[in-house]
Amino acid sequence: MLFFRSEEEVRGWCRDRGLPRRPTASMDQLWELATTWYASRLEPESRRPAPDEIRRLFHRIGLTDPFWDPQSDEFGHA
Amino acid sequence: MISDVDVKVAVYRHIAESGRVPTAAECAERVGAPVADIVAAWERLQSNRLLLLAAGPSGEDAPWIRMAPPFSGVPTQHAVEVRGTEYFANCAWDALGVVAALGGEGVVRSRCERSRVPLELECGPDGPPPSDWLFHCHVPAAHWWDDLVFT
Repeated sequence: MLFFRSEEEVRGWCRDRGLPRRPTASMDQLWELATTWYASRLEPESRRPAPDEIRRLFHRIGLTDPFWDPQSDEFGHA
Repeated sequence: MISDVDVKVAVYRHIAESGRVPTAAECAERVGAPVADIVAAWERLQSNRLLLLAAGPSGEDAPWIRMAPPFSGVPTQHAVEVRGTEYFANCAWDALGVVAALGGEGVVRSRCERSRVPLELECGPDGPPPSDWLFHCHVPAAHWWDDLVFT
């Protein structure tokens, strides 16, 4: 899970390694993920979101590709 | 009898206060329990995907915390400064997660993975400033925990 300064750098990084280009997320989307996932992490009641909650979160912020589905079997083994 | 929640909170408070993960002995002192109970709790927290442990240097040593997401137990390229303390995150997502976990304001220092151009993001109450930078993950979400260090 890495930062890139442009789409061109993402494509180049994947090409250099012979890896498929995956869907990207914007910084605003990443902030939504970070705050939803971790804002309460220091609190006693915090917990890791369940798969359904993860799926709803991704959909809410526009990450709808099966790549983001925590239970997708579309990609086999990484 | 200590609870896993007590141990989890102790781990995260230690990190928040110091910028580094606690040893099992430090965690034991903080919650007033034997080291063996702490290690057992850590292992249960790992089963629940709240910690990632690594073996100690020899078979007799207690394990140590490699990841207490979003915090990293080792230095990484994703550094975060909050109120004068430096923390390390496991990945790009976790870098913003460290800011979120510690109150929502801080500075993320990382880099573009291909060009190595430095990234400095000053996050305020409304998040990071407008930015064209992108987040890319090679591993599909369904496989993130197959090898969390690689992810």
